[in-house]
Amino acid sequence: MGIEFRDVGKTYPGGTVAVAGFSHVVPSHTTVALVGSSGSGKTTLLRMVNRMVDPTSGAVLIDDQDVRELDKVALRRRIGYVPQAGGLLPHRTVVDNVATVPVLGGTPRRAARAAAADLLALVGLDPSLGRRYPAQLSGGQQQRVAVARALAADPNILLMDEPFGAVDPIVRRELQDEMLRLQAELGKTVVIVTHDVDEAFRLADEVVVLRAGGVVAQSGTPKNILAAPADAFVREFVGADRPDRTLSTSEIDGRRVVVDANGRPLGILQ
Amino acid sequence: MSTFLDALAWILDPSSWGGSQGIAVRVAQHLAITVAAVLLAAVPAVPLGVLIGHTRRGRGVVVALAGAVRAVPTLGLLTLLALLLGVGVWAPLLALVALAVPSLLAGAYAGVESADPEAVDAARAMGMSERQIVRHVELPLGAGVLVGGFRAATLQVVATATLAAYTSDTGLGRYLFSGLKSRDYTLMLGGAILVALLALVLDRLLAVAQGRATGLARRTAADSRLGA
Repeated sequence: MGIEFRDVGKTYPGGTVAVAGFSHVVPSHTTVALVGSSGSGKTTLLRMVNRMVDPTSGAVLIDDQDVRELDKVALRRRIGYVPQAGGLLPHRTVVDNVATVPVLGGTPRRAARAAAADLLALVGLDPSLGRRYPAQLSGGQQQRVAVARALAADPNILLMDEPFGAVDPIVRRELQDEMLRLQAELGKTVVIVTHDVDEAFRLADEVVVLRAGGVVAQSGTPKNILAAPADAFVREFVGADRPDRTLSTSEIDGRRVVVDANGRPLGILQ
Repeated sequence: MSTFLDALAWILDPSSWGGSQGIAVRVAQHLAITVAAVLLAAVPAVPLGVLIGHTRRGRGVVVALAGAVRAVPTLGLLTLLALLLGVGVWAPLLALVALAVPSLLAGAYAGVESADPEAVDAARAMGMSERQIVRHVELPLGAGVLVGGFRAATLQVVATATLAAYTSDTGLGRYLFSGLKSRDYTLMLGGAILVALLALVLDRLLAVAQGRATGLARRTAADSRLGA
């Protein structure tokens, strides 16, 4: 299932332009990251896919169909959504949070709960945590639940809005690894919004770097962007000159050791 | 002091309680008109408050109107209604409904508005309809505040329901009005004490209900249902 942004713009009634004329195609079964600082319109673009925001110009198409022709509620139920802070319902148990969309769709509660327990295992959580309430979990566990919930209706599309932004760096890394494993297994069409360029490079097949107002500064594979930043803005944003990105090798006892700009060894070149 | 003791003695005297003019009947009447007024007020106030809280629209207008209603003296409104409707229980009942509406309205919209905006946004993005968001997210999360509105309204109404006896032979207010007329201050004080006690009991009951409703929304790590 592919997503196409066709010259979409969003101008708010006050005249604020969040996005002006953004076009991009997200091929099926790939992960695309929208990166940019705040005010780049990346979240607005993401929310256009499930009609949480309707563009004021242009159109978003899923499999060549304009999403504005679709019923909002039905559209959202077949698209997985992972918000920044989890957005779990605090008054429902973990398992009921995960079962929410299937139950809304008419799946019997018992079957939905059984499936939810399996999904918890899929995202690396002990299914016995299902009886707890969200406040009884750590931030990282809550984000895993949010991913499980987004997968519950087996959507083809997964939208993730700064999904790991609220957890500490070590947990973030774990969650990113988990996400890579899941994506290798499930092959969803994923759009992820982040301001963390390292996260974008780790998770995405293709990265779109945005300037203020949703203007594309550069798009391409992480490798291509790093190899040839389009301009000074991209170069600065992706940190192409950062010490940990400017590596060199030095030969020690016949083996080539990779070191960063500060001389710290990172690994061995095979 | 002796009036106070006399009033207590009157309350504690079993013979004060029986009969069609007794305390038991009057407490029951007082409770009935209180409950009726609050429930009747809730019929328009709660749905309207929920709508305002959910849509975040029309709040300014309704708050201003509710404030104006609050400023209307209940006794004046009662007199006006009694002139229109005649003596009987309807005039005081309607005056009490008007008294209860602002608190119920405020409780409903404040409750719905108090729901965590991130949970509401996530619920919408998952594909809950607006009606489902109200029912499954905003009302459970705002239940404590909503019940708080019922508590405030009930307290005002139960105290003011003494006015029901102004135009009809209903409730504990009868003791105040007849005591005033016949200068039987023991009877007046006894009636006042009963109203105060009834108000305290109702307030405690509703405080417990409010605590439970709030607990539904705020699960904590210390929750004892963990192993349930």
